[in-house]
Amino acid sequence: MPQCIALVDANNFYVSCERIFRPDLIGKPVVVLSNNDGIIVARSQEVKDLGIKMGAPVFQVQGLINRHKIQLFSSNYTLYADMSSRVMSVLEEFTPCLEVYSIDEAFLDLTGVCSDDPIAYGQQIKKTVFRSTGIPVCVGMGPTKTLAKLANFAAKRWKQTGGVLDLSDPARREKLMRIVSVKEVWGIGSRIAARLNQLGIRTVWDLADQPVDRIQDQFNITIARTVMELKGIACLELDAVAPDKQQIVSSRSFSHRLTECRELSEALSEFCSRAAEKLRHQNSVAGYISVFLRTNPFNLDEPQYQRAAGLTLPFATQDTRVIVATANRLLKSMFKPGYRYQKCGVQLGKIAPATVPGQADLFEFAAGDAGHRAQLMQALDQVNRRFPHSTRIAAAGFDQSWKPKAERISKRYTTDWEELVIVKC
Amino acid sequence: MHIHLVQLLSPSKTPTALALPLFTGKVAAGFPSPADDYIEKTLDLNELLVQKPSATFFARAQGESMLGAGIHPDDILIVDRSLEPVSGRIVICALNGELVVKRLKNQAGQWLLASENPYYPDIPLHEELEMVVWGVVTNVIHPL
Repeated sequence: MPQCIALVDANNFYVSCERIFRPDLIGKPVVVLSNNDGIIVARSQEVKDLGIKMGAPVFQVQGLINRHKIQLFSSNYTLYADMSSRVMSVLEEFTPCLEVYSIDEAFLDLTGVCSDDPIAYGQQIKKTVFRSTGIPVCVGMGPTKTLAKLANFAAKRWKQTGGVLDLSDPARREKLMRIVSVKEVWGIGSRIAARLNQLGIRTVWDLADQPVDRIQDQFNITIARTVMELKGIACLELDAVAPDKQQIVSSRSFSHRLTECRELSEALSEFCSRAAEKLRHQNSVAGYISVFLRTNPFNLDEPQYQRAAGLTLPFATQDTRVIVATANRLLKSMFKPGYRYQKCGVQLGKIAPATVPGQADLFEFAAGDAGHRAQLMQALDQVNRRFPHSTRIAAAGFDQSWKPKAERISKRYTTDWEELVIVKC
Repeated sequence: MHIHLVQLLSPSKTPTALALPLFTGKVAAGFPSPADDYIEKTLDLNELLVQKPSATFFARAQGESMLGAGIHPDDILIVDRSLEPVSGRIVICALNGELVVKRLKNQAGQWLLASENPYYPDIPLHEELEMVVWGVVTNVIHPL
């Protein structure tokens, strides 16, 4: 039985998250800005239609923003991460095997699940996700991940598909491939696309029609695999399990008990700096941060308290500042006065190599000026190597300085009791 | 992109199990409590109030048009988006771009957004009115 893989991808995910709680913005132009409000990282369809590009600096399109009264939002990752986790848990009901590929897309293995009518099943997925979460999605299906990606691209571009497209039929596949540019293929970046164009390979079909060994000779095994995938031969498996179980832990028992949140925060920031250094030393990034704290469990005369909390970052990082800020947020969510704390620590998880090919560009935008960050962190590590532990990231008291500029951030509607959406009676 | 925050009040995916990911066990030293065998579980409000965590949202009520239904100003509404908005249910809907709470009613073929307060009129639905049901209200949290 051939495989059936679906790629479910949210439409303009960040914008859709904002619109759920602002129905007045449905049909109006909306953009979401990067961490420092400098760059456009998500656009509603109305904004795309105005020709505003992904990654455009705000100042360059200020004229259009004013003229069309485009609504701007700072990125609200707390909201997006919560909405993403809702979408993913709805998707889990449809498949025994789900790969969360990014904050707004997932691969589903539907082999044997929907053999009689894949389109109806795809429509069911689309409808259920929207009904439960308010997030509109498109569903692309095919015998390989690369074809599912292509199907999703086409489902988004051509409204007649109703947002669901199945490319398991080879004749239908060829028809589509002949009219789509090769640069739209998953894993074909603009440089590779330019080289392919020089060889006369312009459409997806031109590439799918190539002998695999020729592509392997002229390019590499990865591109050759892409060609096989386009031919309907599955080469890429679903990554259902977290591939990396590596962890970095940094914690310590205190010489004397700590009672203030500020003291714990200082210690924790120190642990974070050490952990982030280790992370950068092995040239990795972490996608998960957890923090724990506890009183002395062996002193039964004292009131006991122990907590741990963690969260998945919207994008993996090796930036001390992000790690410190996140860890401190977690600490604040757990800290309770009136206890004598003996130990706290930070644990970094979901560790991956610093540069993963094929990672969505979106995250580079979202992470802000990644280049500058890397330089800054390198400088920090050098100073620390020459003068051990001399340079630290400011922790408590300077907390505000950590926060990226986010003047137009919406409410944390789903994670904070004080910020719930208001409904009129 | 799951957030696993220790936040006892949020409708977490697996309600109570999430609360304490680490150090949930008992202290290693000392005798086990003789009561351990009798512990079944603690009562969890999520279990009572949240059927589908992924589709459950909270909203804060403003206004007095639904007093008769027990919805007071500043109450927290528990909303399940996955439920069918049938006649008789209290719904949140986007009415001309604004989120409002009313009782959905079908009276002799005419759909209404009914208030539960004689001082507030019912809103009959018609072509020009832009109305989308946002979710079905299942419970009210009202502090006394």
